[in-house]
Amino acid sequence: MSTQATTAATAAAGVRSKARKKKRISGSSITIMVFLTMCAAFVSVPLYVVIVTSFKTMDQIALGDVFALPTTWTIEPWITAWSEVCAGMTCEGVSHGFWTSMKILFPSLILSIGVSSVTGYALALWKIRWAGTFLFVLFLCAFVPFQIIMIPLVVLNSSIGLFGSIWAVAIVHSILAMPLLTLIFRNFYKDVPEEIVNAAIMDCGSFWRIFIEIILPMSANIMIVVLILMITTVWNDYLIGLTFGGVGTQPMTVILANTVITSFGAVKYNVDMAAALLTAIPPLVVYFALGKFFVQGITAGAIKG
Amino acid sequence: MAIRWSWASPRLALVPAVSVTLVAFFGAILWTIWVSFTRSRRFPEYAIDFEDLTRQYDRLFGDNAWATSLENVVILALGSGLAIVFGFILAAMIEREKRGEGFFRTLFLYPLAVSFIVTGLVWRWLFNPDLGIENFLHQLGWESADFNWLGDRRTAMYGVILASIWHGLGFYMALMLAGLKSINTEIWSAARLDGVSFWRLYAEIIIPMLKFTFLTCAILLSLGVVKTYDIVLAMTGGGPGTSTWTPAYFVVNSFQSRGNIGFASAAAVMMLVMTLVIFLPLVLITAWQARRREARVQ
Repeated sequence: MSTQATTAATAAAGVRSKARKKKRISGSSITIMVFLTMCAAFVSVPLYVVIVTSFKTMDQIALGDVFALPTTWTIEPWITAWSEVCAGMTCEGVSHGFWTSMKILFPSLILSIGVSSVTGYALALWKIRWAGTFLFVLFLCAFVPFQIIMIPLVVLNSSIGLFGSIWAVAIVHSILAMPLLTLIFRNFYKDVPEEIVNAAIMDCGSFWRIFIEIILPMSANIMIVVLILMITTVWNDYLIGLTFGGVGTQPMTVILANTVITSFGAVKYNVDMAAALLTAIPPLVVYFALGKFFVQGITAGAIKG
Repeated sequence: MAIRWSWASPRLALVPAVSVTLVAFFGAILWTIWVSFTRSRRFPEYAIDFEDLTRQYDRLFGDNAWATSLENVVILALGSGLAIVFGFILAAMIEREKRGEGFFRTLFLYPLAVSFIVTGLVWRWLFNPDLGIENFLHQLGWESADFNWLGDRRTAMYGVILASIWHGLGFYMALMLAGLKSINTEIWSAARLDGVSFWRLYAEIIIPMLKFTFLTCAILLSLGVVKTYDIVLAMTGGGPGTSTWTPAYFVVNSFQSRGNIGFASAAAVMMLVMTLVIFLPLVLITAWQARRREARVQ
């Protein structure tokens, strides 16, 4: 009887200790969740505050509670930010900058991706003796800080009369992106089986025909990755747009900065925040729509570069 | 004929890339170095100033704002290094917990899609002493709360660091997560069988295995720090005074506001030197890793 009782007791104790062990594991997992949630809050609070602020009236903002929801929701700040707000001397809202950014974006994409994909393909699949050296040079160029080549590029651009045009901005973007994109394309194309290329050459396929008929159709994935990388870099750039864009050809980030930083008179924080959100929306849409590729693009840009 | 074309076409196709490299990178870097030894002011002059060859550099290192910039680069690098530490902790937690991995990864990474200008403006608003977080804390009853970091020379840089961490945290988390996922799964189960404690597992096994990932992160971070410009401009405009200047800010300022090309070039050359110093270990590591990989294949 007593032995039975002890075995029962030990069994119970065993069960209890097992239960406690299980509890401890879930305890650490709770700690993890709490920590993750706190970090998530740190990351998302600024976005929340900006969105909330952009829908408030200035009267409510003046009361000072940043985290409160708008008492009366208004889209007035968004309309003002888009079409009326003043950046320096001109008062046409950030919409002008939006369209300029679009006009800069497309030539930059076509130029940079066109040149880099062909270069990457040539370096990866055709026998060129100095390919290794050139790749190493590109690797170095990919890390050159923009400031060191900025001034000569300004001098060069003004000597050929491009300075201040949309093309100047787009060309500088393409130049700066070329080394990294070429490396990404080359790393992708070097895994194309040699047999395919050899067979294609046997078939009397020329350099360009192989590229257009065989290689390009294979590169959908890498194209998306590179597109995302380029769209976010070009759209989010400030310095190139500021330095190479003239009056009326400055991208949205520059207009935004001018609006917020150099504004005179009473500051309208709700309009500022709406303008900031309008500038941030295009890359955010790209991010949330193509998140997986975005991560790939960022890490490819970081590691393989 | 066909063979001749197959020899010539790839080389022709490389002409744009090669000329861009030669002109826009090599040529431009040499131009900047050359001009940094001249007396150029608003317009470039090409006569090297032999009387006082290092005139621009002497002026540069005598300049207080430059000293502040150098100091700030170090502070910024150390401070935003926290992004790597937290990035690793987050990645380890996400990897361990598995639950909600996709959600947290998406959430932590979104600031990366936002430009530095927007990031800076947003944090500038949060730091606003009258209407931002400080005011919120005061209203809660914490009267002595001081969150007006950007208004004070001594704390303005910490504000910039906080915003940089916010922006970069997800990036380092993603790199670390990729590193953690590449670790052989057998190690985890072996460690569990051996009863290795949680802390020892990370301190003695996982972190040493990820040393290349850590190094890559550190180098990428330092390269980014040297180039820091937009976020400072958007948050503080370099101020108060010159307390948040960085080398990149210094170069752009000397060029655009002071209109002094020679001086700006000298500062840009120093930026290049810094990049090289940070960059050299990366080249060596990559070369070493490639050799190790080859050795393993053989």
